[in-house]
Amino acid sequence: MKRERIRNFCIIAHVDHGKSTLADRLLEFTGTVDPRTMRAQYLDTLELERERGITIKSVPVRMNYRAYDGTEYILNLIDTPGHVDFSYEVSRSLAACEGALLVVDAAQGVEAQTVANAYMAAEQGLELIPVVNKIDLPSAQPEEAKRELEEVIGVDAHEAILASAKEGKGIDEILERIVRDIPVPQGDPEAPLQALIFDSVYDNYRGVICYIRVVNGRLKAGQSIRFMATGRECQAEEIGVFKPGMTPVNELEAGEVGYLAASIKTIHEAQVGDTVTDGVRPAGEALPGYKKIKPVVFCGFYPVVNEDYPQLRDALEKLQLNDSAIQFEPETSSALGFGFRCGFLGLLHMDIARERLMREFNVELVATAPNVVYQIVRTDGEILEANRPSDFPDAGQIEEIREPYIRLTVFVPSEFVGKVMQLCQDKRGIFHSMDYITPERLRLSYILPLAEFIVDFHDKLKSTTRGYASLDYEHVGFRASELVKVDVLVNQEPVDAFSFICHKDAAYHMGQAVVRKLKELIPRQLFEVPIQAAIGKKVIVRQNVKPLRKDVLAKCYGGDITRKRKLLEKQKEGKKKMKQIGRVSIPQEAFLAYLNIGKEEED
Amino acid sequence: MDTLYIGGGTPTFLNPADWESLIEILENGLSFSRGVEVSVEANPDSLNADHMRLWRSWRVKRVSLGIQSFSTEILRWLGRPHDEKQAAEALNHCAENGFSSSGDLIFGIPGQDLRLWHNDLRILSGYVNHLSIYQLTAEPGTPLAGERVASQSEAYPLYRFAQWYLGSRGFLQYEVASFARNESWCRHNLSYWKQGNVLGLGPSAWGYLDGLRYRNVAPLMRYLRREGLPWEWTESLLQEDRAREAAILALRTRWGIRWKTFRRRFGEDISRELGKALSELPPDLFVKRNGRISLSGKGFRLGNSIWERLV
Repeated sequence: MKRERIRNFCIIAHVDHGKSTLADRLLEFTGTVDPRTMRAQYLDTLELERERGITIKSVPVRMNYRAYDGTEYILNLIDTPGHVDFSYEVSRSLAACEGALLVVDAAQGVEAQTVANAYMAAEQGLELIPVVNKIDLPSAQPEEAKRELEEVIGVDAHEAILASAKEGKGIDEILERIVRDIPVPQGDPEAPLQALIFDSVYDNYRGVICYIRVVNGRLKAGQSIRFMATGRECQAEEIGVFKPGMTPVNELEAGEVGYLAASIKTIHEAQVGDTVTDGVRPAGEALPGYKKIKPVVFCGFYPVVNEDYPQLRDALEKLQLNDSAIQFEPETSSALGFGFRCGFLGLLHMDIARERLMREFNVELVATAPNVVYQIVRTDGEILEANRPSDFPDAGQIEEIREPYIRLTVFVPSEFVGKVMQLCQDKRGIFHSMDYITPERLRLSYILPLAEFIVDFHDKLKSTTRGYASLDYEHVGFRASELVKVDVLVNQEPVDAFSFICHKDAAYHMGQAVVRKLKELIPRQLFEVPIQAAIGKKVIVRQNVKPLRKDVLAKCYGGDITRKRKLLEKQKEGKKKMKQIGRVSIPQEAFLAYLNIGKEEED
Repeated sequence: MDTLYIGGGTPTFLNPADWESLIEILENGLSFSRGVEVSVEANPDSLNADHMRLWRSWRVKRVSLGIQSFSTEILRWLGRPHDEKQAAEALNHCAENGFSSSGDLIFGIPGQDLRLWHNDLRILSGYVNHLSIYQLTAEPGTPLAGERVASQSEAYPLYRFAQWYLGSRGFLQYEVASFARNESWCRHNLSYWKQGNVLGLGPSAWGYLDGLRYRNVAPLMRYLRREGLPWEWTESLLQEDRAREAAILALRTRWGIRWKTFRRRFGEDISRELGKALSELPPDLFVKRNGRISLSGKGFRLGNSIWERLV
């Protein structure tokens, strides 16, 4: 295949701005997908993706297109995940392309996420083709959208394509412009092999399948190869292209996009961002940009029934095959028993994992409150990483606690700016900048602790702005904070599942809320049960669950005896479902309700 | 046979002639031990002089009256056909005829405050040496189903008061619901709590024989026509379940569990297990002396939570 006839591109768009529909139209227009097998959001393969209208896994597709000049071109569309949690995956997908369609909704204009991804694409040298979509909407303001493209993103919107993916308008123009404007892939087919893994999936029969972009050299079926980051060597068993199904070919050369299967057992051996090279004649260096992805949000997953622990482990292992960003390790909680501490790229990522475990693997689970990873500088100078409250050493051994911060960018209509600033302030945000995008819309930027962001920032932003704001963030590293670990004691025993980390000024308030909630949920026992919140040895809140005073119904003659016994058995059965902490039985709901305390406080 | 209890609510429903034939059947079919305790249940509205005369000339010693309350309003709410005057008359009659009488009272009725309850206890304890107090429950399928009756914690002050008040009037709480003066325990009821053998006669009656518990069929005609055993339901308890049940029943009474006897009856292992379960509970729920463990006044109030550890 002549490199001159290959175009590799992706689509950058905000959620809801019509990316999936546009992709569907391109597939139809180029005849890539038989109209009979066509379905909406063709490239979103997961049930969840369709439901939520988001893309989690990027699926590449190869289209043959005969341009107006009569030449047959190969267009590789590399879909990108659309959520900020997956920005590393986005960056790898972008690295596999030479250009991008920058899609903006004609009615809503540029959103925060679009800007972030457009910048990322521009930094990587991609050619951007602006597309103003949804011009069929009555509320469409294409000129306004074009102006925002120029002013906010800084692209030349002069030639922006006006399109309606829904009605099929502008599709031919988009295809022509891809051919005309997106650069021909560079690279030397004769140089040592360098292929970028921009995504991977797990297949039950063939093992891990890497999605690759050949940057230099050639990759042949049967060739011996090496993964440069992990050092693993093996044979390329099958290579192929996406037509859109996987179709084997004999060779992929510089500029082409395809897949590689090599009996790789786990996704860790072939990581996204790694470079595949020739096993015999390896390249001098790997392609730039590889980094090991580190989870930023952690939580515990516990089976509802202890016996389901092995089932949960199997499900997590299988899920991980398809999603290398998930990390997990066994942990035990005195309250919840055996479970796993799991790490995720963000809250959405966590939520999706939880939902997939329940839906696809039928595992009933309890998720503990999410937390970020903390850095703890000990008095002896050692730096620890703690991804759960119980990793914290004694207060006396802590010199300093650092927590991750993000730079948050919010696009918001000017009428809501005061509320959004208040929200950022409440979340311990530090003002960074503010500028007008248009007379009606502002760009606000804050430096904010990630921990505050993950709790419910997104939901609150949506509700305070009636959905008119959009946000994006990037990690800006760790900073020292005045954080404390608050322990919760039930009948003098600390319950690990209830411990939490928070800013010292919020400790009393949060402690109150937790203790009050637990007091409501813990049934009366035969003795008084104190519930306390404490920082180190210092108790900051205390409430008592008063003891039971009466629990007996008289009458018990003849036949009553059997009935009474059955009642007692039932009563006991009910208690068995509770978790036993010392001498106190705590119902499951307490562990779940606890997660919602932050949210309920607002109601 | 040591005790006989003629119950089922209203044996006074039978007329004197019926009673005479009942007595004849019982005398022919059963052998009474010397000092047998024969009790009869009666309702204040249907008890009359003929009954009294018959019973007095036979073996009846105890008459248990379904008093329920001395408040007209409460009696009406409960749907009882008698009023407080009839209740007092019935109690007087029993006393005049030399019966040892017992009365039942109900608490936890909507509108029943401590003052009304105190009044009930005061009047009844003036007449009898034995009384039982029952908390009202609105069982499904009964006329009271769905009624808002007192919860356990709402009924606490009433029950607690009864314990204190009856104690101050010389009554000993010898079981969760039973109080007696001068050792006038109901021996028949005690046999239930000692897991003793009981022969149940008549439709819907319950019986127990060495680990086998049964209930007779309820409709009268089916009971009469049934050939062979009239049981419509039975359960037979394994040794371990018998032990657990025995412990729970024993702890209903002030004599509690006598470990030596219990071990002999049920063995070392289960005795140790039950003993351990009880020892994990707060000590003020129990009275321990002379190798026995029984519930304290507080323990009686929290019975369910304690027995739950034993099932």
